Amino acid sequence: MASREFNVRALPGFGAVAIFTLVMLYLPIIILVIFSFNESQSQSAWGGFSLKWYVAAFNNSQVIDVSVRSLWLALVAAGIATVLATLAALATTRVGRFPGQTMIYALINQPLMVPEIVTGIALLIFVAFLKVQTGYAGMGYMVAAHTAFCIPFAYLPIRARLETMDLTLERAAADLYATPVQAFTYVTLPLLVPGIVAGFMLGFVVSLDTVVITEFVKSAGQDTLPTYMLGQLRRSVTPEMNAIATLFLALSLVVVSLFFLITRKRG
Amino acid sequence: MPDGDGQSGNEIEIEAVGKVFGQGDTAFHALSGIDLTIRTGEFFTLLGPSGCGKTTLLRVIAGFEHPTSGRLRIKGQDVVGQAPNQRLVNTVFQNYALFPHMTVAQNIGFGLKMLGRPRAEIAATTDEMMHLVKMEAMAARKPSELSGGQQQRVALARALAPRPRVLLLDEPLSALDLKLRKEMQTELKRLQVETGITFVFVTHDQEEALTMSDRLAVMNQGRILQLGSPHEIYHAPTERFVADFIGETNFLTLNVIAVQGRGADLALPGGRTIAARVAEGLTPAVGTTVSAVIRPEQARIVPQGTGELSATVEGAVFFGTDTHIHLRLSDGQPFTVRRQNNDDLADPAKGETVGLSLTPGALQVLRG
Repeated sequence: MASREFNVRALPGFGAVAIFTLVMLYLPIIILVIFSFNESQSQSAWGGFSLKWYVAAFNNSQVIDVSVRSLWLALVAAGIATVLATLAALATTRVGRFPGQTMIYALINQPLMVPEIVTGIALLIFVAFLKVQTGYAGMGYMVAAHTAFCIPFAYLPIRARLETMDLTLERAAADLYATPVQAFTYVTLPLLVPGIVAGFMLGFVVSLDTVVITEFVKSAGQDTLPTYMLGQLRRSVTPEMNAIATLFLALSLVVVSLFFLITRKRG
Repeated sequence: MPDGDGQSGNEIEIEAVGKVFGQGDTAFHALSGIDLTIRTGEFFTLLGPSGCGKTTLLRVIAGFEHPTSGRLRIKGQDVVGQAPNQRLVNTVFQNYALFPHMTVAQNIGFGLKMLGRPRAEIAATTDEMMHLVKMEAMAARKPSELSGGQQQRVALARALAPRPRVLLLDEPLSALDLKLRKEMQTELKRLQVETGITFVFVTHDQEEALTMSDRLAVMNQGRILQLGSPHEIYHAPTERFVADFIGETNFLTLNVIAVQGRGADLALPGGRTIAARVAEGLTPAVGTTVSAVIRPEQARIVPQGTGELSATVEGAVFFGTDTHIHLRLSDGQPFTVRRQNNDDLADPAKGETVGLSLTPGALQVLRG
């Protein structure tokens, strides 16, 4: 028996832990979805099937407002972050070792390591200063803050993809008369697409989700969906929140499925 | 060979090229004082063990590495400082480096597309190249759907499609199994003759080098040790390393009795004298000890008391087409004879004393 391979199933209690973990992960989400269809306002007693909370959410102009703001903010921030992260990944994988490279990694990944609350307070003070100095109080601050926060999430998958890419492919392109720009356009970039898509989607989800950064940076009337929902929960919890959360769950499932389809076709 | 330009028949001229990686104490001299001229239309091979600098030299010609010193001209034009995409030289990479997101046809047409050739010309040349390497049926496949041998053919067609002046091949056959490698050797030779393109082939396989090349350079530790035809390299090695690296050989340590011109008389164990050829640039002094080589197939076993040498049989190893008979000369030096198994000859018995007859003019005195 000593020669048998290591098998996690043989560990005592492995199955129980696995089931417990899965239940803790998914049961709350399932309950949330179920009660979004509840006729009554209760979060604990089933009062029959109804779509009225979805209707309420769609008729609530504030919900529509903050949802649209969240979505475009996430799209713009993740978009800019992906472009910057791609450039950063190219610089850190294709230029050769240079002094301070390790520090560059640390600087790019800073938002992953510094507690979000620290970033939040720093941004609060900095943005307040800028608002006073410039008089501008628009969404620009939110876009900049979300972009900065998204960069490491976009950077990691793109860099990983570049690092595993066969360098002789770019050499072969150069050998076949491609200029550096052509080699990038026809060889590096197409092969990098799965990494870029993954980076964009990670950035998108992170921006959509972040509460702390938004809370500290936003001006009046710049609520995103997460900060709006937090505000609502302080007053009363209605299944309308369940309905909104369920819609965003469905959206993220669609996005993740699309990602898998795209990468499978390419891989 | 004369060529159309009315210029000299030299395709690549390499003068005193050196390549150093790193600096100071940790500096590694990958290439030192390489002087080499590759002629137009020849199949030229760089042969040597791994780490000898042959791939670095190929990369210098392709433009992936810049020489630390020396000059490099392709068709009379100085190319030091030119980027790979500016050189009319194409490479077949060891791992093929086919673009995984493109079809076979797109891979083959890539070079012409980058050169900005018209669509119709790209399509026509791609078809022609696929025909040349017998891959017409695979035009729409992706590289991942091809076998190793097929990928090899696509890599060749891709490198040949822009009709380069020179094709560089970096150990292209090393990933193939023996049978396929033999096929591709013939195929490569055919392509080279049909296209008339100068091939520069890098390999560590001495048999491959001997069978395919018009000329070859044997390299070790960043230097070219010997340059010549396969025949010259095999039969007249100038250095111990070359003699040892190419085929099997017998090394003998012998005394010089007389020197005349390019030859020397050496004293054999047992008292006889033999005439030997002397490597170029070497003038052995009478009375000194030199190292000489002779191939195992250039000696025959003859009855005791006849032949130039006397030896004791230590054993025999059967190889199918031939048998290697291991002997010890009267002064204790080892010697191997290769005997073709033409007849059903009995192997000499272990411990038996026999005579050895050496092919006249086969013994060669080495440098160093």
